[in-house]
Amino acid sequence: MKNRIFRNWLLGLGLLAAGVPAAAQTCEVDLSGVWRFQTDVMDFRRGSLSPRYNHMLPDSIVLPGITDDYGIGYESPYRHVDRLTRLYEYMAPAWYQRDIEFPAEWAGKRIFLYFERTHWLSSVWVDTKEVSRIDYISVPHNHELTDFITPGKKHRITVCIDNRYRYDTHKWNHAHTEFTQINWNGILGEMKLVAVDPVCIEELQPYPRVADRSVEVRLTVGNRTGRPFEGKALVSVSGNGVEVERELPVRGDGAELRISGRLPLGDGARLWDEFSPVVYTLRCRLLTQAGGSSYEHEKTVDFGLREVAQGRNHVLLNGRPIHLRGTVENAVFPKTGHAPVGDAEWERIMSIVKEYGLNHIRFHSWCPPRAAFRAADRHGVYLEVEMPMWGKDAEPDSARYDFFRREMRAILREYGNHPSFILYCNGNEITGNYDFIEELTATARALDDRHLYSGSTARTRIPSDQFYVSQQTNKGPVKVYEGRPTTDWDRNRESDVDVPVISHESGQRCIYPDFREIEKFTGPVRARNFELWREMLERNGMLDQAYDFFRASGTLTVVEYKAVIEALLRSSRSAGFQLLSLNDFPGQGYAPVGILDPFWDSKGLVTPEQWRAFCAPTVALLRYAKSSWYEGETFTARAEVYNFGASELGKVRIRWSLLDSSGASVARGSLGTRSVGKDGVFPLGEFSVPLDRIRGPQRLTLRLEVGDAVSNSWNIWVFPRNDSLLQSDDRVLYTREFDSEAERFLAAGKTVVLTPAPSRVAGRPSTFHNHFWNPIMFAWSPMTIGCLIHDQEPVFDDFPTSYHTDWQWWDILENARVIDLQETPRELRPFIQVIDSFDSNRKLGIGFEARVGKGKLLVLAVDTGRRLDERPATRQLLASIDRYVHSDRFDPQVPLDETFIRSFLRQSPKK
Amino acid sequence: MRPTILFALFALLFSGARAQEILLTDYAPLDAVYGEEWESDELLPMNDLGMESGYLLYESRVELPGGRTELTLEHVRDYAAVYLDGRLLGSLTDARKSLEIDAPGGCRVLRLYVENIGRITYGPEILDNSKGLFGRACLNGEEIAGWRIVPLGIQDGDPAGLDYRPLDGTPCEPGFRLGRFDAPDPAVRYLDVSGWGMGEVWINGCYLGSYWTAERQQSIRIPDGLLRPEANTLVVFDLENGDPAARMHLSTEPVFN
Repeated sequence: MKNRIFRNWLLGLGLLAAGVPAAAQTCEVDLSGVWRFQTDVMDFRRGSLSPRYNHMLPDSIVLPGITDDYGIGYESPYRHVDRLTRLYEYMAPAWYQRDIEFPAEWAGKRIFLYFERTHWLSSVWVDTKEVSRIDYISVPHNHELTDFITPGKKHRITVCIDNRYRYDTHKWNHAHTEFTQINWNGILGEMKLVAVDPVCIEELQPYPRVADRSVEVRLTVGNRTGRPFEGKALVSVSGNGVEVERELPVRGDGAELRISGRLPLGDGARLWDEFSPVVYTLRCRLLTQAGGSSYEHEKTVDFGLREVAQGRNHVLLNGRPIHLRGTVENAVFPKTGHAPVGDAEWERIMSIVKEYGLNHIRFHSWCPPRAAFRAADRHGVYLEVEMPMWGKDAEPDSARYDFFRREMRAILREYGNHPSFILYCNGNEITGNYDFIEELTATARALDDRHLYSGSTARTRIPSDQFYVSQQTNKGPVKVYEGRPTTDWDRNRESDVDVPVISHESGQRCIYPDFREIEKFTGPVRARNFELWREMLERNGMLDQAYDFFRASGTLTVVEYKAVIEALLRSSRSAGFQLLSLNDFPGQGYAPVGILDPFWDSKGLVTPEQWRAFCAPTVALLRYAKSSWYEGETFTARAEVYNFGASELGKVRIRWSLLDSSGASVARGSLGTRSVGKDGVFPLGEFSVPLDRIRGPQRLTLRLEVGDAVSNSWNIWVFPRNDSLLQSDDRVLYTREFDSEAERFLAAGKTVVLTPAPSRVAGRPSTFHNHFWNPIMFAWSPMTIGCLIHDQEPVFDDFPTSYHTDWQWWDILENARVIDLQETPRELRPFIQVIDSFDSNRKLGIGFEARVGKGKLLVLAVDTGRRLDERPATRQLLASIDRYVHSDRFDPQVPLDETFIRSFLRQSPKK
Repeated sequence: MRPTILFALFALLFSGARAQEILLTDYAPLDAVYGEEWESDELLPMNDLGMESGYLLYESRVELPGGRTELTLEHVRDYAAVYLDGRLLGSLTDARKSLEIDAPGGCRVLRLYVENIGRITYGPEILDNSKGLFGRACLNGEEIAGWRIVPLGIQDGDPAGLDYRPLDGTPCEPGFRLGRFDAPDPAVRYLDVSGWGMGEVWINGCYLGSYWTAERQQSIRIPDGLLRPEANTLVVFDLENGDPAARMHLSTEPVFN
């Protein structure tokens, strides 16, 4: 045990020094601070006599907190490659203890011990007796101690937190996985003693009704007096200009009374949605008498005036279709190792979500603490929440089933009031008994109509589904993992089923890790995997390129996400999408797929303003057939606008312009003034641009403006036809075979350009896209994450490119082969350098040059035969190479042996 | 009252409650959508044929000894309907890779129609993502050699344009079946595919979707505006429903098993 900074004697002090208020009131005592502590790694004390002896725990810890914060547990010597490494692992019971003097004034009250969040069984002993056990994972643990406390007396309160897996649930569930938030042991958030009168509010639920701008208040009164009670509930709603109150009479003689009443909020009450996140506070004061005593209890909850319903293809909010632009949140919190429970961090996350034009978060296989709902309410972010349920969790197991039945009800009861909570799904990609999934979903629907429900993401459909988050429907795929060099496609047909369909886990394009992030990991988990990969890169002689690999693959991911998101916005019949994800996912092999790092900080690849051009409530869209064009062709496109903004755009002018790389306009036009509505994707007309006066090669930018506030742009490339290519002469030999003629040319000090057919190159397949998710979990070919283009090299003097690949590279990279160059001299750097998987880090390339003997060699492993007339960029690259190899700038320095060249060439067939 | 009038009255009375039937009257054989044929001594997964997903036919001429013969496959990804001389014997999956054939001896044509149900998204099998049939295929332990492997372009176009002939009463091998129907009820939203096997459907030239009897969902949403009050066309491709009298239904509500 290390770093224990607090001494036991601190604990002996009286804890309830604060003045205790008069009777007939709710009393709360904050229990944060120093607690006695003891580990129980061997799980022995549960079976021993120690609690009976009222044993005083020898160590101490400060709560709220987790054992990791104090270096408690097994100090891990490992460097996990598939996840971050937890410095101090702890999975066992742990004991927390305080001696508490309960005020005499609490006589007659009900007394609760409340922990906002813990993992995941908490058991409470009062002195020597175990009195309560709770094992929710998504909601607070509220232990009732009433019958075991004598007010006016000091009790020893001992709490056991056991973070072992209570049920046989999937170890990847984000509620408790080591992959993202760790499976911590501790107590977080509010922790307090609460004493309430014996007639009290058990539950207060607002059910907003939009039609008449009212709220139905459902109230459950608990009566522990054993006598009849009567009185009134003063129910009020306040906030944002609304101030209404109503008195409901209450009268009962049992242990529980359920009543409800409607409270009109007035015509001025505003509806809640993403554009107008107006939150009201419902307050209930319960004033009762029973057996000659007066009792009082008060409770407040937030709500928004909104109703959610299942539309034809969309989720309806207040009768209006919404389109979900979401990110998947997987409990990624490496700074703390647990989800934040305070408002500040969730305010920050919700602000970032909105800043990037999103309006939705799916909490994948977990449910966040209340602060997340509060922040989403205020920022207008639509939430989907889930239980810790994944994979085979629906296979028969009665204990596990009962846990899910309890957990589902607890989530609805605890967070059901929040307007941001619009979607509930049991969990992720569930397999097993779907009768059980139907049972859970139908039960939840019957319990609470304030949300829409779905059985499982991306698996079997059930009758109770009100929406469906999936990769595919029975009409085809609805996920979009990657872009295309055309924008004239969508997922409309595939999304048009019996319930609204949300595109599941779209995106997932892997970026090379930014090793500079290592220093940001200062909490309970460390990026030791980054250290492993960085060392590997250094051994392979490319450490100086780490940052270039990161920014080239990262920019490609931005290019892909623009294409992915626009395809999903063009899909007006889709209910929306959930990008995986805006931030990185640090488990399952480590998936740096985000434009934000795991700390929700920008990686510097794209600004929020640039991102919002293609991901926002209103986005200009363009459908065109291809990205690479020949001079003299006519570029044609159809303009559209996605408008799921607050209101209609009204009459707006539609203008387009074609800009060269300096930003100067080379063509422009107008599609006139159009009236644009809302809640859909609207066609704006078609235009064409003859490319007869455009001289290639060049990159052009097509900019589309819808009114003054909305614009978006796309890169296209125009190339000359380059009719004469691959022409050998007495100085330069073009060849697909490394044959005797090539040897003769090299021996004579001349130039050979070798363009072997990809099928003759022993190497990996080439692809435009960077790897899906990450190459450790999905170790399928080709395990590459984009290309670093050495764009400053003279070989690219006549080929328009940046250091990263964009859509002009499509026809080159989809017709190439990747050569492993790790065994070449260190100084050799391919000018088309393919970025290897970060757990392999070999030097890979498609194009490189070398000195072979006296001769000069340039290798380009790109197909030069197949449909070359349809591949203007490949033609241009060949033309640029041709000019280069004929110039005196072509002077390869790195010597390479012929045997290496032969090593990656397969035998050609016998002639 | 004559029985026909009684029947008509009965039909009228119950037409509101009973879903509307669609008769499938015409048939177009599958060879119209055969892709490039491959000859191979052994089974090849669809990945080797450049296919990511879809339907494949594996055909071989086999010599049956007569009596009970066991057909065993090494890998079935993910579903194979087994036909012997045009007669459906059953289906195989990776969880059930053998089938008993009880047929007289002689030279026979064995056809395996295969579909990949999905792809693996995670788990230990992730690297073993070949689809179709591969590995050994045996009859009573003896390997079957010599296959004709044919990619089937089921979803490549509108199958309503194929060459159809009227269905007679004989059981169908997998092929396209076509029916014409009126849809007077404007409340119809779904095609009820319950009772069929595994396949795909089109209405009025629009691809509607796929179905499988093992799924809970047994209806497919018909896009708004696709159905006309009169003269609609339904085309069904099914792997294993050979019943020439099989029908589909229209429904106002989604249908689940």
